[in-house]
Amino acid sequence: MFDLTDEEILRYSRHIILSEVGGTGQQKLKEARVLVVGAGGLGSPVLLYLAAAGVGRIGVIEDDVVDVTNLQRQVIHATADVDKPKVHSASETMKQINPLIEVDVYHERLTRDNIFPLLENYDIVVDGVDNFPTRYLINDACVMKKKFLVEGGILRFMGLIMSINGGETACYRCVFEEPPPPGTVPSCAEAGILGAVAGVVGTLQATEVLKIITGVGEPLFNRLLQFDAEGLRFHEVNARRNPKCPVCGENPTITELIEYAYTCETQAPGSS
Amino acid sequence: MSEFGSNSENGGRVLSFEREEKCHSAGCLELVVQGKATHYHGPRNVDSLLRAMGENSLYANVRINGDVLDRRDFENVSIKTDDTIDILYFMGGGACST
Repeated sequence: MFDLTDEEILRYSRHIILSEVGGTGQQKLKEARVLVVGAGGLGSPVLLYLAAAGVGRIGVIEDDVVDVTNLQRQVIHATADVDKPKVHSASETMKQINPLIEVDVYHERLTRDNIFPLLENYDIVVDGVDNFPTRYLINDACVMKKKFLVEGGILRFMGLIMSINGGETACYRCVFEEPPPPGTVPSCAEAGILGAVAGVVGTLQATEVLKIITGVGEPLFNRLLQFDAEGLRFHEVNARRNPKCPVCGENPTITELIEYAYTCETQAPGSS
Repeated sequence: MSEFGSNSENGGRVLSFEREEKCHSAGCLELVVQGKATHYHGPRNVDSLLRAMGENSLYANVRINGDVLDRRDFENVSIKTDDTIDILYFMGGGACST
């Protein structure tokens, strides 16, 4: 039997009518617990779609406040939200869309000290950060704790998506072993980002989360998808597990969490 | 002088190549870059290839025939006809200007 109310059956009827999802899949969504790191360009569409889809418990961690320059792409926030903590603005929007879900709000930065306790409460993590220290921290923690992770990155007109079953499939370090040298890769604030590109990549991340929860289709495991908006092209690359991977390889050298140094103090998780 | 035989009208992003090219001269390499057939004239190493494509080697990882290269080794890794090359960009992060 499904533990779905009449209200839920009506609200999610377009899901339930999909034979691949059905009541069973919607029940799985209701029972799922997803942590979204960052409520920025990627986090916005991820949070909106997961909330609308009826994911029962959604955590959002982000220490930043809404800035007017965010509004060109961070569509979960409105003009009236400027200067509000992003987690509060995001949570309010999500509850307006779907009051039937639970939203856990963490107005803080994700760090080496708080990530493991946080992960205990969630099954899947979505990466919507805009800095490499946190990106590698999330990857390593998800491998160590065997959590699902849906990676996403954006810059200018390009995006990247990769789904990871921690400890089972290729991880971010299997492809990008170490962060690039400090100062070499510009941030969105420096290089710019076409707002809708964040929507494309974030929506694909949300799609992957819904697939992983419901078991529908083939998640983007052991594959990496690059998106080029200028040519409107997707390029898929096989990303098999790397035996030399420092965190999930045969002889891992990273057995404790590393927190790489930020190269500027103003950069915060989730500012993508 | 290096020459990279693909469409670079929109800034030379390697994801945007669309013309399939064949080699017509000696010294030309036929490669598959980002899933697209193309040709390349120039020094036969990864660093030169990236430069010819207008790519900053610091922005990307490179795979040849499925193997991820050591990023410190781009100048020493040679390329040959029929190699399949994937450019994997670092995205969604980055440092502030230093």
